[in-house]
Amino acid sequence: MSTSLADHLRSLPDESLAALLQLRPDLVVPVPADVAALALRAQSRVSVSRALDGLDQFTLQIMDAARLTRDPADGTTSVDGVLALATTGPNPPAPTAVRAAVDRLRARFLLYGPDSALHLVGGIDEISPYPAGLGRPAAELDPRTAALCADPAKLRRTLLSAPPSARAILDRLAAGPPVGSVPPGALQAPAVGADDDLPPDDTNGGAPTGSPVRWLVDHRLLVRVSGGKGGTTGMVELPREIGLLLRRETGPLGPLSSSPPQVAATPREPKAADSAGAGQTMEVVRHTEALLEQLAAEPAPVLRSGGIGVRDLRRLARATGSDESTAALLLEVAYAAGLTGEMELPGVAGRYGADQQVLPTAGYEMWRAASLAQRWEQLARAWLTMTRQVGLVGQRDDRDRPITVLSAEAERAGAPAARRAVLGILADLEPASAPSVEEVLALLDWQAPRRSRGRENTHREVLAEAATLGVTGLGALTSYGRLLLAEATANEHGATDDPLGLLADAEDGGGAIRALDTLLPAPVDHFLVQADLTVVVPGPPEPALAAELEVVAEPESAGGASVHRITTSSVRRALDAGYSADDLHDLFRRRSRTPVPQGLTYLVDDAARKHGGLRIGSAGAYLRSDDEALLAEVLADRRVEALALRRLAPTVLVTPYQGGRLLSVLREAGYAPVAEDATGSTVLTRPRARRAPARVSVGNRTLDPLATPHLPLPRLLGVVEQIRRGDAVARAARRAPAVVRGAASDGPVPAHSHHDALAVLQQAVRDKALVWVGYVDAHGATASRLVRPVSLGAGYLRAEDERTEMLHTFALHRITAAVLEK
Amino acid sequence: MSGGPLIVQSDKTLLLEIDHPDAQACRMAIAPFAELERSPEHVHTYRLTPLGLWNARAAGHDAEGVVDALIKYSRYPVPHALLVDVAETMDRYGRLQLANDPAHGLVLRALDRVVLVEVAKSKKLAGMLGNRIDDDTIAVHPSERGRLKQALLKLGWPAEDLAGYVDGEAHPIELAEAGKDGGRPWTLRSYQREAVEAFWAGGSGVVVLPCGAGKTLVGAAAMAEAKATTLILVTNTVAGRQWKRELIARTSLTEEEIGEYSGERKEIRPVTIATYQVLTSRRGGAFTHLDLFGARDWGLVVYDEVHLLPAPIFRFTADLQARRRLGLTATLVREDGREGDVFSLIGPKRYDAPWKDIESQGWIAPAECVEVRVTLTDAERMAYATAEAEERYRMAATARTKLPVVRALLDRHPDEQTLVIGAYIDQLHQLGEYLDAPIVQGSTTNRERERLFDAFRTGEIRTLVISKVGNFSIDLPEAAVAIQVSGTFGSRQEEAQRLGRVLRPKADGRQAHFYTVVSRDTIDTEYAAHRQRFLAEQGYAYTIVDADDVLGPPLPTVD
Repeated sequence: MSTSLADHLRSLPDESLAALLQLRPDLVVPVPADVAALALRAQSRVSVSRALDGLDQFTLQIMDAARLTRDPADGTTSVDGVLALATTGPNPPAPTAVRAAVDRLRARFLLYGPDSALHLVGGIDEISPYPAGLGRPAAELDPRTAALCADPAKLRRTLLSAPPSARAILDRLAAGPPVGSVPPGALQAPAVGADDDLPPDDTNGGAPTGSPVRWLVDHRLLVRVSGGKGGTTGMVELPREIGLLLRRETGPLGPLSSSPPQVAATPREPKAADSAGAGQTMEVVRHTEALLEQLAAEPAPVLRSGGIGVRDLRRLARATGSDESTAALLLEVAYAAGLTGEMELPGVAGRYGADQQVLPTAGYEMWRAASLAQRWEQLARAWLTMTRQVGLVGQRDDRDRPITVLSAEAERAGAPAARRAVLGILADLEPASAPSVEEVLALLDWQAPRRSRGRENTHREVLAEAATLGVTGLGALTSYGRLLLAEATANEHGATDDPLGLLADAEDGGGAIRALDTLLPAPVDHFLVQADLTVVVPGPPEPALAAELEVVAEPESAGGASVHRITTSSVRRALDAGYSADDLHDLFRRRSRTPVPQGLTYLVDDAARKHGGLRIGSAGAYLRSDDEALLAEVLADRRVEALALRRLAPTVLVTPYQGGRLLSVLREAGYAPVAEDATGSTVLTRPRARRAPARVSVGNRTLDPLATPHLPLPRLLGVVEQIRRGDAVARAARRAPAVVRGAASDGPVPAHSHHDALAVLQQAVRDKALVWVGYVDAHGATASRLVRPVSLGAGYLRAEDERTEMLHTFALHRITAAVLEK
Repeated sequence: MSGGPLIVQSDKTLLLEIDHPDAQACRMAIAPFAELERSPEHVHTYRLTPLGLWNARAAGHDAEGVVDALIKYSRYPVPHALLVDVAETMDRYGRLQLANDPAHGLVLRALDRVVLVEVAKSKKLAGMLGNRIDDDTIAVHPSERGRLKQALLKLGWPAEDLAGYVDGEAHPIELAEAGKDGGRPWTLRSYQREAVEAFWAGGSGVVVLPCGAGKTLVGAAAMAEAKATTLILVTNTVAGRQWKRELIARTSLTEEEIGEYSGERKEIRPVTIATYQVLTSRRGGAFTHLDLFGARDWGLVVYDEVHLLPAPIFRFTADLQARRRLGLTATLVREDGREGDVFSLIGPKRYDAPWKDIESQGWIAPAECVEVRVTLTDAERMAYATAEAEERYRMAATARTKLPVVRALLDRHPDEQTLVIGAYIDQLHQLGEYLDAPIVQGSTTNRERERLFDAFRTGEIRTLVISKVGNFSIDLPEAAVAIQVSGTFGSRQEEAQRLGRVLRPKADGRQAHFYTVVSRDTIDTEYAAHRQRFLAEQGYAYTIVDADDVLGPPLPTVD
């Protein structure tokens, strides 16, 4: 069969081959050597499976029809045969739709050959063994069942006589898949209906419960098949003929629909959807900024297992007034957008033993300076392409540990594809139509069933995240969201279609930003001041206005507008920041669209009056006296000018210099000051001569430092002994026994020498005897050493080297030999 | 300005720009579901609260309408999440219903079984629910109706109370709008009529109207609507007698039909006026006058000054859920934060009107609020600086320096009836001597009070010094100037009530004056700022002047 596909491919014009390769791009990675290799690859299980993944439900069903209508003899089918089978059901699809599906399959070479003799690509049966959810023909399963199927009347009678519980099982298997596992013991239990043998069962209304599966197997309606995991539970299969009979009402292929399911929900007002989405984008940007500001104020430590801990996430969520899942999403998005990053902590480990922190990056500053729409676009684009599944955060992983934000466990390579798929569904619908979640899932299921099944939760999460981020509004894709998606897709294709980037400059991805910009409020440069001392900025403030308000008022409420309150402390803060009362009056007059209330004017003046009522400064020392005239005299005295005295009060002068200097200068000038301590009592001091640190007299030294030192005899003897011992050791080193010096020169080492060495060493430890130890050093060289073993244990020998008087540790496995010193 | 008048904030406050041409329409649209929080001169603040949204559901508004109103009037895009939140919150109301079952009496019925299961498991409801009748219904003991509603509200699943009200013992009551005993004909004011209608449609609830806006008449009209025996709970005996006077003058009721149940008299008549004090008085640890609630089959219970309702009355009220309840107040600000209990036990807020609106319609007098800052003498400052923390407010508030200022203020209004209000008895006595004016305080007998008030009304006495007893429910329509010298620390509602004393519309429509004398640079100033917050949020702009400007010769007016 593969040869025939190869022949078929070989006979194709170039364009058709190119079309195939475009539809199944995986065939050219790597580029096959020849057509035979291409044909082989096109029939491989992996490639066929991929080709099927991209097909919609109807096309897959037609593929199943082709499989079912195969001629058992040569494995071919025909378009007519497929058409006949597909249109048997109660609501047959249009023949043109079926033909179109066949053409789609042929374009992918899942079917090939002429209309009358269509071949199926090989490998298809390996991928899904049960076409259209039908079992194998009875003939392949069991001869007795085949016999039953050959007698339609009897088969019908048997089916009709099936007890309800058995019939339910049949119906379930008929809908597909046609095999089911059987609970252990079910086939050994008495069959349902054999009432006489069974005790009554309370859960079944007093009637005895038998095994319906046993009944079905006994009546040859189900066939036991081998297989199933572990083999302890049996499997049963519904034969194809019986399956088809049970599907009388739906048609042999099950319910067919040649077009995607319809969306019932009425479309929203496009403006309303855009507006709700735009409102959400403002929220997202504001919350992200608040989150990152919070991170900047207190960076979150990275856990050892990666990610940010639950406690930190909770803290961040609370601080920004969002719930935890939103905070997790925004953190992930901000990270993906490059707004946050990890930084190594210098020095010791932190609170959690972590040595990394997550905090805003330098890119955050640039982000913050951008316009609202630009900021949102940066976030949304990052969200579209990030390979993270944020919905996993908070769930538990395989090892039952919670998955944390930014941890590796939430990484999913398929996440961007899932987002494209879901948003693609929304984008394909009419603008501003808002399908329900279930409808979106149904559409996805129809469009690519092999891809979407089992990912429903992921798709739900995508929809929820899109709503949170403002990509959708009121459940519909917003106009700017549509543009963003189109731009993101275009960029991807642009990279391949336009390698030189000739077209890219024309549309620089600004469409979404511009579209969103028109929806967002313009910045305002004024506010409204009210008698209750609140300041309302009716829109997003200009940067300059925001900076001014940050100084003079406390924020109270944020959103489309912002409300601030002016309090005594906020005015004081402004005064501290260098504003004067007049500046503040001027600020309020200039910025306010409404008359400034008298209360505010009074508050500012009152705060300004009190501001600076207490003064703080530093001084080295003070000079005080109850005699004001005396102080005035000191202040006027030119001799003490150097002290830079300043009058704080009629009775107090201060100087930047220390008390001692003040004291001495004043004394020199003829005054009679007295020092006092912190409690005010006088400190009396007597002058003390300055002294250098104590030194030892030279009189204690030897008379002539150059004379040779006198050595007493015992000391000399000791020196001699030391020399001799060194000499002996040096000689001894040369005398090391041959067996220790290294076996390499003296032939192979006896196999038992290591054991012997151990025995020798143990003896030596006991006897405290000197031993020659031969060993292999870390570089693989053999060496020997004369040592006195001290201890032996834990795989190490500790021994004292006589020559160097040092303690050495030898790994026992490196010791090749040991010989007692004779 | 482009776009609508409303700005929706992410903390669920709504800012309404008053000067916008659509402001009035927008206010009508959002008033049913948003609580008016502040109404200063330019931008009013409303808040979306679960209570308010449920209230709106109870009044028949649905989430779709709320969302539409927000989107329609909003100047900027409304965040999607907020809209979803509004819809979800409103959806929680009415999943459970309290209803009368013909066979089982009062039952809790679920339209959403899961909610009933969740609620039934809650520990907070332990002991309130009876037998399970079927999957969707649980019996409720009638006496637990109030507590159950309260607990369900706390759980976030407010029940719709469909069990209805008992009609009570019928008693004919009519409004005497034609004028009685030769009195002039009169009619209910439009807002009073609206308030009564809103209350009656809802069955029970709270009506919030400024002091002096005629809350008594709202009560009387509600009684005329109910035409049943009525129990009226008031703060004190004098207020009770005012109610009685007003009821006799404005309704078909006669003196014999109205009873007073107070410390002095214990009369139970078709309409009975009782004081909170007598109801909460205990003997040997037991409330001895509780029987009053069961003494008659009351068709209506009116709570005057509901913001002052003492905690024990809340407990009694929980048992009265089958009776119609009307709460009246000027300021639904409870310093104890129990607004939620008022909502679940008396009922939701049924009517609310900004003070300034009523003022602009001429039903209350326009008022000028002035804070006069007195600079303490050095000796007083020194004494204040060294005083114990708990003594500081008293020291600052009762400074003698205030006396000449009060005199100067009195001299500014030689022809007006003036109240001088304070909290410290010593200070009041000083003032009484200094100004040569009579004093009304807690120990003044009711008879003496009546005499002094009557003399004040007739103009015999021009200046009256009153203590905290004057905070509420005394009707002195002629008072046009109030000077407060000290108060209960930073109480916002006290400030509002005191202002209310001078807000009765004056015959010639002249302005009322409300002076607060505070000591500069002391804690007195801080408390004053806190006290003023409620009124400032109602749009009263305080002017701050220095005492020297008051004491000195009147300055020539410049502009």
